Amino acid sequence: MSAAVAVTLPGVDPVMDPESRAWVAALAGDGADREAALERLHALLLRAARFELGRRRGQLAGVSAGERHDLAVQAADDAMMAVLARLADFRGLSRFSTWAYKFALLEAATKARRMAWRDRELPRPPEDWLAVAAPDGRPEAAAEHAELLAALRAAVAEVLTPHQREVLLTVVAGRVPLDVLAERRGTTRGALYKTIHDARRKLRAHLAASGLLAGEEVTRR
Amino acid sequence: MSLIEGLLGPEEPEVGCDECFAELDRYVELELAGADPDTRLPGLRAHLAGCLACREEYQSLRDLVSGDDG
Repeated sequence: MSAAVAVTLPGVDPVMDPESRAWVAALAGDGADREAALERLHALLLRAARFELGRRRGQLAGVSAGERHDLAVQAADDAMMAVLARLADFRGLSRFSTWAYKFALLEAATKARRMAWRDRELPRPPEDWLAVAAPDGRPEAAAEHAELLAALRAAVAEVLTPHQREVLLTVVAGRVPLDVLAERRGTTRGALYKTIHDARRKLRAHLAASGLLAGEEVTRR
Repeated sequence: MSLIEGLLGPEEPEVGCDECFAELDRYVELELAGADPDTRLPGLRAHLAGCLACREEYQSLRDLVSGDDG
């Protein structure tokens, strides 16, 4: 990467690179300079939104080219509002373009996930979720980890609240995107992930107390 | 991610989705600069391991920025 990464020193503001400084000055200003900056910002965000939607062509196979165009423009529009609303939060710890990109990627990814699920009912976690959830696509994985999976099945039933159980299984076993579940429940990705995080902590503690987490079963690949 | 990994999540302490989003741009630039983002932003890598949505957006941002720099 050609640009230097800002260095944070105690009590000293990071040095903002000249290009980022110019973006902030133009967007915080007024008149023709701001109008031109807004136009350039929208183009930058639209490019990022199209980049994200391009990565999701398979997910959006049933969506027309016109709808994909509208989705990209809508994502860029919403990202621009978010960037302008949070401009004061930009501290120059990255380049402005990198900071702005993430808003467009978030908007485009979230809209694409929701569009892909727009006509679909969310699957309810089946009673026998272990039987239908393919462990990382490898049929032998269930046999390899039979003891741990059996303990997990019991722990999911015994130590999780009904809400934790439903959210965790819908997302992990049902493979429903967090954003889609959040939209249907009228909540946020962060709130749902907190539920999943708390459920995972409970499961880990329960299995550790049973002496089942000391093996290679939970070694991350 | 396997079913077991999905159910148990990352072993290490992790940040939440909001904290991840707030630092994602800095994390990606540090990583692309070879500047050890995991020491400077602890908990973010673990969150990316546990949260598919944030991980997808991290991968997109990394690829988009590295494409700009390439």
